[in-house]
This record gives sequence, C-alpha cells and structure tokens, in this order.
Amino acid sequence: MHFRLLRPTSKPIAPHCRESILGRIPPLCLIIIAIGALFHPRVGHCDETDKQPDPRGIEFFESKIRPVLVRSCYKCHSSDAGKSEGSLLLDSREMIRNGGERGPAVVPGDPEASLLLTAITFDDPDLQMPPVGNRLSESVVADFAAWIKMGAPDPRKATSGVARISSIDIEAGRKFWSFQKPVDHELPETQDPNWARRDLDHFVLATLESNSLEPSPDADPAVLLRRLHFDLVGLPPTPQTLSRFLKRTKSKGIDAALTEQVDTLLSSERFGERWGRHWLDVARYAESSGKESNVTFPYAWRFRDYVIDAINADVPYDRFVTEQIAGDLLPFENDAERARLLIATGFLALGPKNLNEMNFFQFLADVADEQIDTTSRAILANTIACARCHDHKFDPYSMEDYYALAGVFASTKTNYGTSVAPQNQVGGDLITLPDLPGQAILHKSVTAKRITDLKDQLAALKKEEKDGRAAVFQAIKDGEDPSGLFTLQDALRILWRSGSINGQLKKYNDQGEALPLALGVMDREQPVDVPLLERGEISKPGEKIPRRFPEIIEFDDLAEIPADQSGRLQFARWLTHPEHPLTARVMTNRVWRHLFGQGIVRTVDNFGHNGEAPSHPELLDHLAIRFVNGGWSLKSLIREIVLSRTYRQTSDYREDAFHKDPDNRFLWRASKRRLDAEAIRDAMLAVSGNLDTARPEGSLVGRIGDRPISIIGFDKRITPDMDGTPYRSVYLPVIRDRLPDVLDLFDFAEPSLVTGDRETTNVPLQALYLMNSSFIRHQAEGLADRLISQTKRRRRKKQESQIRQAYLLCFGRSPDIAENQMAIRFFEQGSHDSKLPIDKDEAARELMANYCQALLATAEFRNID
Amino acid sequence: MKQSTQFPTEWNMAYSRRTALKSMASGFGYLAFMGLAHEAAAKETSSHGAALAPREPHFPPRAKRIIFLCMQGGPSHVDLFDYKPELKKHSGGATEIGKERGGAKLLGPQFEFSQHGESGAWVSSVFPEVAKHVDDLCFIHSMQTDIPNHPQAFGQMHTGSFQFVRPSFGAWTLYGLGSQNENLPGFITLNPPADVGGAQNYGSAFLPAICQGTKIGGGQIPALYAKLLGKDKEPGPPLKNLENANLSRDMQRAQLDLVRNLNLQKLDRDKYHPEIEGAIESFELAFRMQDEVPDVLDVNSETEATQKLYGIGQGLPTDQFGRQCLLARRLAEAGVRFIEITAPAKWDHHTLLKENLETSCGATDQSIAGLLTDLKQRGMLKDTLVIWAGEFGRTPYVQSLNGRDHNNKGYTIWMAGGGLKGGYSYGATDEFGYQAVENPMHIHDWHATLLHLLGLDHKRLTFNYGGRDFRLTDVYGDVATDILA
Repeated sequence: MHFRLLRPTSKPIAPHCRESILGRIPPLCLIIIAIGALFHPRVGHCDETDKQPDPRGIEFFESKIRPVLVRSCYKCHSSDAGKSEGSLLLDSREMIRNGGERGPAVVPGDPEASLLLTAITFDDPDLQMPPVGNRLSESVVADFAAWIKMGAPDPRKATSGVARISSIDIEAGRKFWSFQKPVDHELPETQDPNWARRDLDHFVLATLESNSLEPSPDADPAVLLRRLHFDLVGLPPTPQTLSRFLKRTKSKGIDAALTEQVDTLLSSERFGERWGRHWLDVARYAESSGKESNVTFPYAWRFRDYVIDAINADVPYDRFVTEQIAGDLLPFENDAERARLLIATGFLALGPKNLNEMNFFQFLADVADEQIDTTSRAILANTIACARCHDHKFDPYSMEDYYALAGVFASTKTNYGTSVAPQNQVGGDLITLPDLPGQAILHKSVTAKRITDLKDQLAALKKEEKDGRAAVFQAIKDGEDPSGLFTLQDALRILWRSGSINGQLKKYNDQGEALPLALGVMDREQPVDVPLLERGEISKPGEKIPRRFPEIIEFDDLAEIPADQSGRLQFARWLTHPEHPLTARVMTNRVWRHLFGQGIVRTVDNFGHNGEAPSHPELLDHLAIRFVNGGWSLKSLIREIVLSRTYRQTSDYREDAFHKDPDNRFLWRASKRRLDAEAIRDAMLAVSGNLDTARPEGSLVGRIGDRPISIIGFDKRITPDMDGTPYRSVYLPVIRDRLPDVLDLFDFAEPSLVTGDRETTNVPLQALYLMNSSFIRHQAEGLADRLISQTKRRRRKKQESQIRQAYLLCFGRSPDIAENQMAIRFFEQGSHDSKLPIDKDEAARELMANYCQALLATAEFRNID
Repeated sequence: MKQSTQFPTEWNMAYSRRTALKSMASGFGYLAFMGLAHEAAAKETSSHGAALAPREPHFPPRAKRIIFLCMQGGPSHVDLFDYKPELKKHSGGATEIGKERGGAKLLGPQFEFSQHGESGAWVSSVFPEVAKHVDDLCFIHSMQTDIPNHPQAFGQMHTGSFQFVRPSFGAWTLYGLGSQNENLPGFITLNPPADVGGAQNYGSAFLPAICQGTKIGGGQIPALYAKLLGKDKEPGPPLKNLENANLSRDMQRAQLDLVRNLNLQKLDRDKYHPEIEGAIESFELAFRMQDEVPDVLDVNSETEATQKLYGIGQGLPTDQFGRQCLLARRLAEAGVRFIEITAPAKWDHHTLLKENLETSCGATDQSIAGLLTDLKQRGMLKDTLVIWAGEFGRTPYVQSLNGRDHNNKGYTIWMAGGGLKGGYSYGATDEFGYQAVENPMHIHDWHATLLHLLGLDHKRLTFNYGGRDFRLTDVYGDVATDILA
C-alpha cells in the first residue's frame, strides 16, 4: 500500500458515528503503513534502474513522454506555472511519483495503479485528463503505458521548492563567534598582582580593571559557606558544619578551609541531586507526555536516577552526552552497564508528545523534530529545528542540515510506552532492561494464567474484527446494505480494548513476572534517509537527504555513518568532538550561570545570532578548553570556579560600581540570588528535621502506572499539593502541566522546554503558599519541636538559645540585637492570642511554630548573598 | 537568573519604601517607624501607599482598565473580519504573493460574510454573536508585527520586543497607573501559555516586581473528569492557600509584621535588593487578598441568567471561556487594572482551517458577546477597554490543501469600549487581505494607542534602567487618534 493514502485526516473520529468503517483504516494499521512509508518511501526511491538509468528508457521518455507532459499537462500541474491542480505536480520525477490528492500519478512498473494512465485513458468518468477536447491520442496513451511498464524512467530532477538552493552562506556563518574554535588565550596582565587565586580570576580582574571597576572584598566566611552549600548541594549548612568551617578558617586560613569544604561537598551524594536536576531542566525531564492527552510515563524516573548517578560519578561530559544520544549503540561489559546505557537514551524518548495525532507519519516527524530541537538546544544552545520549514532565518542551518539529522532520528525507534486508548492514538513500546539483582520494579507480577487470559482476549478481539470486516465485504459483494454490521464504534472499542491489553502484556513475561522497563531509543532495523519536506509539510516530500550533521561544523577525523546504523553514535561523536566550538562552551556557560546567577553568555540556551554575545569571551574560551583538556570533568570545572576569588566576593551593594554596571556583567560582586524551588523546599525540610535524604524507590508516577493525568486526581496517594513526602524535591513527581505546588509557584523549569535559565518571579501567590500551605506549617512545627527539644534541659536563657539556634539553622548566622528583640516581642504579644491552646506546653509549641513559620517565610530564607 | 536590578532614579525612589528607609537610621529607629506606619495604615483605607497606590495619569484617561482577550496563534482575519470579495472571486487562482511560497494558490474565505448593525461592518457567519455587537467594536484592519513566528510575535505583542526581555504592557500599565484595589493584584492573567516566552509575557523585567502579572489557572481539567471530581465550578485549578487553618487573624497579622520587619531589616542591610522589596510588597498584598479573592473568584454567585449570557454550562463549548470572561468582568469590577485571558481555543490553523475555525469561534463567540453585553448593561464598557487580538493573521493563499500560513503584514484585531469609536473600521489591507495598505498599525503604534487611552503618554512613561530611559514603545509608536471617540 502506498503512503499517499495517509493524507492527513486529523478530523477526530466521532465515536457516535454509525457509519461502516470499510475503507477507513484504523490507527493501528496506519501505524504499520506509516512506518513502512517513512522507511521505504517511494519518494526518490533508489532502485537499480535509478542507479544506472537505462539510456534507452531515458531516450524514450525524452522523445515520447516529456513533450506530451510539457504540452498538455504542465499548464496546470507544474511549479513553473505556479499551479498544482489537485495538489498534483508533474514536472519532476519525485512529484509525479508522489502524485496529488488522489494518490500517486505514476507507480513505476504498474500501469494499473498509475492514476495518470487512468486519467488519460478516460476510463473513469470522474478522472479524465487533459480536460475538455484535449484528449490524448490512443498512441500517446500507449506510449505512457509502455513507459510506466518499463519502470517510468525519468531523469528530471525536482523543481521549485524541491530542488532548493540553500540560502545559507556557510563561510559567512563560520565567522560568527560561537562557530569559531575556542582560543587558548594567555592570562591577561592585571594591575593588581595579588588578587587572583585561580587562572580564571585573571580574566575577570582584567575586565574589571579595563572598565575602571574594582572587585568586591571576600565574603564573610559564613555567608560564603551558605552560598557554597546551596550552590553545590542545594541544602543549607548545618550549624555544626558552620562552626567547624569557621574554626578551620581561623586555624588553616580560608583557602585551605574552602578547598576542604568544596571537596567534601563534591563527593557528597547530595551534589548529584542538585546538579543532576540542572541537567534534568535542560533535558526537559518529565513523567508524562504533556500536550492534550497527557498520559503518564511510569518508567521515566529511571532516567532521573541515571542522571543523578552519572553526575555523582562525574561521568565525563562527552561520555555523558554520548550515552544519552547513543547509549544503546555503545559496547558494554555486563548487564548492569547495558541497563544503564539503555536508560540513558531516555533523554531522547521522554519529550512531550502529541498522542492525539491521528496521522502517524506526522507523529513520527514531530517526534524526530522534538529530538532535534531538544538535542540542539540542550547541547549546542542552537535552534536547528527552526530549519524544519525553511532555512534558519538567523543561524547557518539549511533545511538540508535539518533533514539530514531528521534521517538519523527517523532511523531510530523511540520507545516511550503508553498504550492506545481514547486519548492516545499512538501507543509506543518500551525497552525491557536486562534482569539485574535488586532492580526496582514498581509494578507487581501477575499469574501466568492472567497472561494467557489477556492473550486469549486479544485473539478474540482480533477475530471479532476480522469477522466483522468480512461480513461487511460480503454484504457489499451481495449488494446488501452493510451498515450496522461492523460499525466504527465496534472498531474503536476493539482498538482501545486491544490497546489496553497490549499495554498490559508489555509489562510482563509469559510467566506473568513483572519486567524491568524503561523509556529509550534503539536503531530501527533498516536505517533510512528522509526526504526534505517542503515547508515542513509531510505531504510535500522532495529529494531524500543523506544523513549527515550540520555543515557549519565539520571534522576531518569522524567516521562515516555505517550503512546499517542510524548515525546516532556518529552524531554523538560529532557533538562531543574535542574541537566542537559549541559543546564545551555551552556546558561551561551553563555551569557558570548556576554559580553566578547569569551566564557569561546570558542567553544560555541560545548561542546563535539571536542570543547575546559573551561578556568575557576569553574567559569562556579558557574555561571551555580547560574543561575539554581536563577530561570533560564537571566536578573539576565546578571546583575550579568555586575556588576562585571571583566566586568568593561579597554580594554587597556598592553605589559607584552599581552605577557603572547595574547588571553586574563585569562581576564586580557576587550576585544575590533567590533559591530555586527545590532548594527552598529542601531547605525547609532540612531545618525542620523532616528531610529524608534517602532516595525513594522509583517515583509516585511509577506507582500510579500508565494512565491519563486527568484522572489521577482520583488516586488517594496523591495529595492536593502533589507533595507530602519527606524526600528531596528532585524526587517529586514531574508531571507536565500538573506540577507540585511548590515547584509550580517558585518557577520550576517548564518541563516541556529546554530550560537552562529559570525565571524568578515574585508574586503574591508565593506569599500565600508561605503563609497558609500545610507543607510550610508542617515544617514550621518540625522546626519548633526541634528547637524545643534541643533546649529542654536548659534553665536559663532558654528563649534566647532557641532563637539563636533557629537563626543558625535557617540563615547560617546568629541574630542581631534587633532581631532578638523582635522575636521576644512576638512571643510576648503572641502569648495572649485567643486561639492558642490552653495547655501551656502546647501553647508554647504553637507559638514557637508561628515564629518558625515567619522565619521560613522571610526573604532571607530563600535568598543567598 | 532573570532577576532585574533597577537604577534608582528620582522617580523610582519616590516610588518605593526606600525613601522612608533612607531617612531612618537602621535598627530600632525604622522599626519604630514601621510600627507607626502600620498603625497609620490600619486606620486609613488605603494602606498600600507604596508601589501600587493609584497614580495620576498624564492626562484624563478614556479607559480605566483593560480586558485583553488573547487569541494565541493567528486567527484568520480573511475568514473572520476582513471581507475580501476579490479573494473569493480568485479562490484557487495563482497569485504574485503566493509565488514566493512555491506557487501557493489563493484560498477564498471559508465562510459567508454579511453586514451587521448600523455601521454595516462585515463579519463572517462563524461569529454570529459577536456580529451583533459590531456597533460597539472598533476594527483595526491594518495590524502589523515584525516576525511571523509564534515566540517572537507573542513576545512582541506583549512586550513590544521580540528580542529582549522587556516589561509586559500589563506591567507598564500598572507601573503607570497603580492599582485600583489594594486587595487584589493589579494585573491578573488567566491561563497564560508556558511556552512562547512563558512568564516574560506577563513579567515586569526591570520594572518593580509588584507590577508583574499574577497567573491564575494553568492546566485545565477536562470537563468529564472535572465533573466527577466535583471541580467543574472553577475556570481552572482554583487558587489555593487562601485560608489559614491554624492562626487567628491577629496572630497572622503579627506573624506577617514580623516577616515584614525582618525583611526590612535585611533590605536595610543590603541597601538595594529588588527581590526583597518585591517580597515585602507581595506579602502585604497576599494578606489582603485572603479577604477578597475567594468572593471575587466565585463565579457561581452570579445569577443563572448571567451565567447563561456567557455561555456557561456543563457540556457547552463556551463553558470554559465563558467562565474566564465572567471572571474577567468580576475582576474588572473589583478594580483589577489589567486582565488578560488566553482563550482555550486554538487559532493556528495551518490545516483544516474551516473546521478548526468553527470549533474555535464556537468556543468563544457566545462568551465574548456575553462579556460585551454584560459590561454595557453595567455601564462599564465606557471605561473598560476590551481587546480581541491574536499574534498575527493568516495568508490569503493556501497551505497544506486547506489551511493558511502566518501573515504578519496585515491582519485584523478589534477593540471595544474604553473611549474608542464604536462601529468603526480603521486601516485596510489590499484586495486579498495580504498586506496593510491603508493606515498600517504596527504593534508599537497599537501600544502607544493603548497607553493613550489609559491617559498615559507613551513617550513620557519611562523607566530608567542601567542609565537608559526605557519605554514600552522603544523609539517608535504613533497614537492612532482617528479611532478615539
């Protein structure tokens, strides 16, 4: 069957419609056809005759066929005439074979299937061409029949939008800063020879000096420690850590104390939870499909854990990227490694998907597009996907670049799970991981009988469909009315029921044992190149574009894409080539942004012409080169930066400097920053003593299973605020368009988009959360209990001690006199409140909780200096 | 982090609490002051003397508030409001304008047009209820925006810029005029999209944080499930955390006083810290919101007749948008300065234009008409500016057999009330509706006109940031005086 039949009919099927489904192809069949179409497209079909065209065939075409086409058809069916009646163009080999609305005009070797021949023979009263009085002679018709039979040899290249001349000037494009190789600059001279601690400080100081600015003094050690803790592990330092750090600073000096502390934090497992989350922002990690259908991805959490573990293990960034793009194609030594590498490819599989899409061909094109978009934004901070419908308007990416990459992803099968259901037209497969001891599997095993039953049901449904269709065919054959025999409703019922059963069966082996499943990608059996789609429309395929990587960046030493592979592994090699001008710079800049509040390039996700230029280009190059030469170690990069003098500055306001540089582009101070949503929540859990730093097994979404988000409200395991766990925020469920309150309110990364730079809003809804939510209250009470129990045995200055302890926990410092006074006044006045419990201890606890809640709600709690 | 730092100009100083702080010594001095200020505030009706206090406009305003019905995507002007008989006549024909797009052919209007009202404005048959209001509408048939791409056009429509992070025009409005109700945010946006710029489209950029839009409702619960969950009465997930289960009112006030004083203490130490300043303002607002918001958000307190007017009702296609429109009226009535609704309908019809327009218009027509009727009968339309606008229009030529592509060169929006001429059409596109040929109105001109209607001179409404005076209209913008009543 030819894929022209798949013309978009995105009109939703009305379930009440009682029409016969004869001729209507249910989505499941569509899927099979569409995959066939995508991977064996007739467009630019490359058979033996194409490779070595028979000169006699071409001669026949030139003498007998082309003149007739030009004379009798082109007027209404050529791009030169600007006309394509019935969306049919006859002026290129591709277009004549693609055909128009009705189907392919010419099917090489098959005159009967060739609509062009039907039209010119005037056999079909509804399809007669050329129109009115221009009917072709019988001998011409015979020529066409002969020509088609011989395989329709046709030397014509695509015209118009198909034979494109790219508007992209590669040479000019290469001149743009971010496409040039980073240069290893010498450390610049500075007037002050003593300020710098690390190499990077020289660049910063030189820029400051050349702008007549001075760096700020070092921050107070306690302030620095709090900053460092939130930056590296997303948690506040405990009072014990603080006091130890201050002691070390005194005895060993700040440099030694800081180095020691940095190394401790980098080796803490909390580090991966903090920095893994930064990557998850960029990887648009989520546990549901998003968009209209929004169905859960119950196995996505494995990718989350993979990222956290990889960051903790300091997997070199080039390897980290390669695993996520092509883990399935990498060699492995054991099952555990294989499982890990398969899970890594979840990066490509967990993007948002339009599961409502009726046209599977469109769906596949959209999935590949999302993969190109995410990969290019996340790793290159470039928007290659803009070249889907036209050459990139700003950056040097042609449509050919895009479709060459699209071929790589079209040759890849994306396994995202979900099963066919009313809101899901395109259920996907899953990856079954190797069996590992102790592996978490969240769904329970079933009996072998259950599996047999399900299979029986499935077979029964299949039979019912087959019989129903046969009955309809028979009725038509017998000239009877087929309506009501096998209705659309019947077909949909069977489709959805089968979808659900298939979804069940995917989760177990034949014995009913629950399988370890994951989202991820694999190469398709037969890789393909895809045609360039004019204006990105699937109905307008042009020439096939061989798979390759964007022309703007080329390396001599990269292997060709093997004929039997998608090319993802080579793509990963291209992305992580040590001389790639973007990859290391982009990652370095992302790291910088998380440590300074803004990137050296502020548009961290856009290094193209629409992005901003770097404030310190030489510094960026220096760090990027260092990153690559140091084995792409994220931990080393972070270590280098946080040990710098630049990072160590105070964030204090200085009027003179502020007037010169209000945005702090030149880094005359550390920036004051509001904490991310996760750090705010984790800090509250930490100070209240409620935090459980263990990793929860899997995810809530994994336990809920495969279902639409719209009905999970029924699930009692889900609290109204989607929170209610003592674990770190990175383990909260991330459901697209249904985030936990605390994440949603405090500017969590939109999980459908690559987000390297979260927003910081400041709105009253945040205040309402801090004032009234049950989560905050619970933490306030936890903190109150903690303070009360810690000072139980104290007789004297109990209250002062409690206040001091609260300040140490919440802010990493002691209260000043004014703050102490405010607290005392609050306790005095509050003790008369009518709503307090009568019991003295209970009243004291309540009042203490009220006080603690105030501390948690202060701006200082959620900001770092 | 996109946190902004502003340059403290004289204006900015007058605006904030910093003036008060500056004149006080740190420590008990200003705490005493704050205590006094609080007492004084408690006695006065208007306690938010600072950021959102109502401010005098530059000249007498025609409109006091805006309800912006944002049609995300590009509604097809040639199928809705811009009647082009020539396009109908040449439907299917090749055209010069289609040539640059690979020979695309013209596509005639997908619906019949007819004239309505005394003004005789042409409206297509797919907007029957809106058509009844044409004598109150002011059509701009010559809109232009710079880039025919969603993120850029959506950003430019909201902030004037498609390249840089700039304050949204709702934020500028609030900055220029302050709020009319101290108990509610002055700028509320219902169901804004998370993509195409996200929060930047209602953000304050370098303006004070309190000027940014407050988002209500994100994801919608499908009707069926909402009913089962008993949540069908809300336009989106309802606002949470509006009540405190634990504290007495006095205790909460004492608690918030403590928070505020601690924040002020911190602000004083930091000298300059917009995040803290914003937090102080937003806590005060949040405290006051607790009283008023539950009532304002309760659209069920409206009569059945009113709900019907807006097309609210289980299973009705307008149910969702109707609730939003009714909520918008309630917010407007309560003194919210700027209300934006992102229509739940989709307007980006690259394919199946006709069917999709029927759906989208069907989901909004009755509610829009209901809003206009309701505002009018309450006497609010005269000083409320209602805007119906998308990001751009669509091409007269076909795309994908039965759709249209983006067209930024000429498209239609309409506005109503707020001191505009009713039953008026301004500007025109060419015979096919492709390009604005008469009185083109660029987004900058539109923004200038909107501010003018609010009594603000777009050239005088500036904010000094990093040593440069910024305005909504950059260095552009002409007020379309022809459309003023």
